[in-house]
Amino acid sequence: MAEASLAPPAVDRGPLAWARRRLFSSWLDGLVTLGFGAFVLWVFFEALDWAVLGAVWSLEDKELCAPGGGACWSVIEARGRLILFGLYPFEQHWRSTLACLVIVLTMGLSCVPRFWGVRRLPLLWLAGFGGFMLLMYGGVFGLSVVTTEQWGGLSLTVLIFASVVVIGMPLSVLLALARRSDMPVIRGVAGGIIDVVRSLPLLTILFAAAVVVPFVVPDWAQGDKLVRVILAFAVFFACYQAEIIRAGLQAIPPGQEEAAMALGMKYWRRVIDILLPQAFRSSLPATINQFVITFKETSIVTIIGFFEIMASGNAAVGTGDWAGQFIEVYVFVGAIYFCFVFGLSRYGAYLERRARLGQA
Amino acid sequence: MTKTLKSLLAAVACAVALPNAAAAESATIQAIKDRGTLLCSGHNGSYFGFVEVNDKNEWKGLDIDLCRAMTTAILGDPNKAQIVPLSWAQRFPALQSGDVDIIIKATGWTMGRDTELGLQFSLPYFFGGAQLMAHADLGVTQATELEGGTVCVEAGTTIERIVADYMKTIDVEHTMVSYEKAAELRAAYLANRCDAFAAWGPFLAVLRATEIDNPDKHVILSDQLSSEPIAAAMRQGDEDFVDLTNWMIAALLIAEEHGITMANVDEVAANPPNPTVARLLGSTPGIGERLGLRDTWAREMIAAVGNFGEIYHRNLGENSPYKLERGLNNLWSHGGLLYAPMLD
Repeated sequence: MAEASLAPPAVDRGPLAWARRRLFSSWLDGLVTLGFGAFVLWVFFEALDWAVLGAVWSLEDKELCAPGGGACWSVIEARGRLILFGLYPFEQHWRSTLACLVIVLTMGLSCVPRFWGVRRLPLLWLAGFGGFMLLMYGGVFGLSVVTTEQWGGLSLTVLIFASVVVIGMPLSVLLALARRSDMPVIRGVAGGIIDVVRSLPLLTILFAAAVVVPFVVPDWAQGDKLVRVILAFAVFFACYQAEIIRAGLQAIPPGQEEAAMALGMKYWRRVIDILLPQAFRSSLPATINQFVITFKETSIVTIIGFFEIMASGNAAVGTGDWAGQFIEVYVFVGAIYFCFVFGLSRYGAYLERRARLGQA
Repeated sequence: MTKTLKSLLAAVACAVALPNAAAAESATIQAIKDRGTLLCSGHNGSYFGFVEVNDKNEWKGLDIDLCRAMTTAILGDPNKAQIVPLSWAQRFPALQSGDVDIIIKATGWTMGRDTELGLQFSLPYFFGGAQLMAHADLGVTQATELEGGTVCVEAGTTIERIVADYMKTIDVEHTMVSYEKAAELRAAYLANRCDAFAAWGPFLAVLRATEIDNPDKHVILSDQLSSEPIAAAMRQGDEDFVDLTNWMIAALLIAEEHGITMANVDEVAANPPNPTVARLLGSTPGIGERLGLRDTWAREMIAAVGNFGEIYHRNLGENSPYKLERGLNNLWSHGGLLYAPMLD
């Protein structure tokens, strides 16, 4: 027999073989690969040419900026502080910077499992918000008072996002539990709140909180406009988040709660030890989604006159000297949004890996 | 009978109140003095030349300077102006709820705002209206030559209706294309998708001066499609406050008329060339008492922000990036529409 003379199997390893198999397996495949590859390269080099090679980098070279030419990053040098700090007084920018760092640090720390305690987390946020207020508002330790009308830029965006989530999350858990309650009144009220708030646009809710409340509520009960807006935003957030958490609660087999009841566990013990940990785990992807949406939606507050980072970006290009550089400013603001949102997504992925480890 | 009695009572009440009317302070002015700041409208971004933010995170612009002028008149210090950022939609509710004392924000005087919204307007301080800009290589100089052309406008604005009405009046066939965003509109025009671009006149001039590589390639057509008087808006029911705003604007115009500037105001006040200037600058007492202010309010105001011409040139005219011609916004004696009441 000629068995011994059979050729060895073709070597099907290495990048070349992979490319032949995956990218050029047929004429059509090869054509698509080449066409699409060329397109991607073209886009990449156009972007590189605009943003780096043909760009003007410093303020002194501003005269070199021409319409249709490369990016004119001089605008960031000239107007960057306006974009980042809004209307915050120029000499006090260090305070806004520190305040922003405090909130970002607090956000970072509360992502660490070590801080997830019923006592630790509220304490952490109390300290975080306290530090932020101290720095931003001032009025003590010789810091001049800066009213909320002058707050703006990145620190305002971060403050709104953080406080909406921090106030909204506990509220959403309460709403979700109330909606599943055995008591018809509580169940009805929670369901009513969620359904009513969800059927109103966020814009309307914020506009009402900022503009309508002063007409119907007496002066002493109005509070600061920023506080009203944050509270309204938090309620809106909570109504959406409550439904996400309720979905997580419903995914838990009813047998678990029944077993806990049979063991004599009280309601809050069952909720805290059995229901919520599992509900959070299964609603995690949707929750991260909601966080990302909320971060991006903070830019809506511009319509009620707050100088969050998108509005201050618009203010930055709204002057004769820089009117042509709006793309550069949008790219800059977009990059800042990207950092935060991408960070959130990566954190979500980490939590999911961690939860899987716990389950295994 | 009761009617007669009522009118009689009203007449008596008027007669009693009249002697005090001049000295009596308006509730708004009293509130401003108690608070120590004047609350003016800002913007949630920038509005070319009128409301902008400079590199030092401070407000500037024609409207902002008028607010600072008013603050100086009432409180003696331009830095006591407090600018509250407001969106366009938010400005009237904010005025009614007391978030601001006055709206000076490129706001047109319309009947609806005057009556239904319960506002009161000052003397107009600016005139702007819809105009058309076209590519220069079309050789068009007026709207009648746009026969068969395409006109781009921003969707849902009053400009859209004004252009349609105007083109119908002069009987010019055209295609109107609306864009949702100002930036899209700009891009469409620059990409030659429309022959002409309709917008608020000052906005077109600013666009032509700053965003277009070669301004000579574009002409602003001579037709004035509409003219909107821009004025300060206040809450109904405080006549004394409206008086003050009117005389603030009037004083800036009179100062320009007589060549009183930021630089020479003290000199002129010490040595007034005529009785009007003497009254304006308080060299002859009286101007303060009538409004419940100091006799030197106009003088301090001009020292702080300059006369109307200086304010215009700093923000829109030759000392700004926009180089906008005065045109209608010159004094009546120079061919414009700005007109101050008599200072007697």
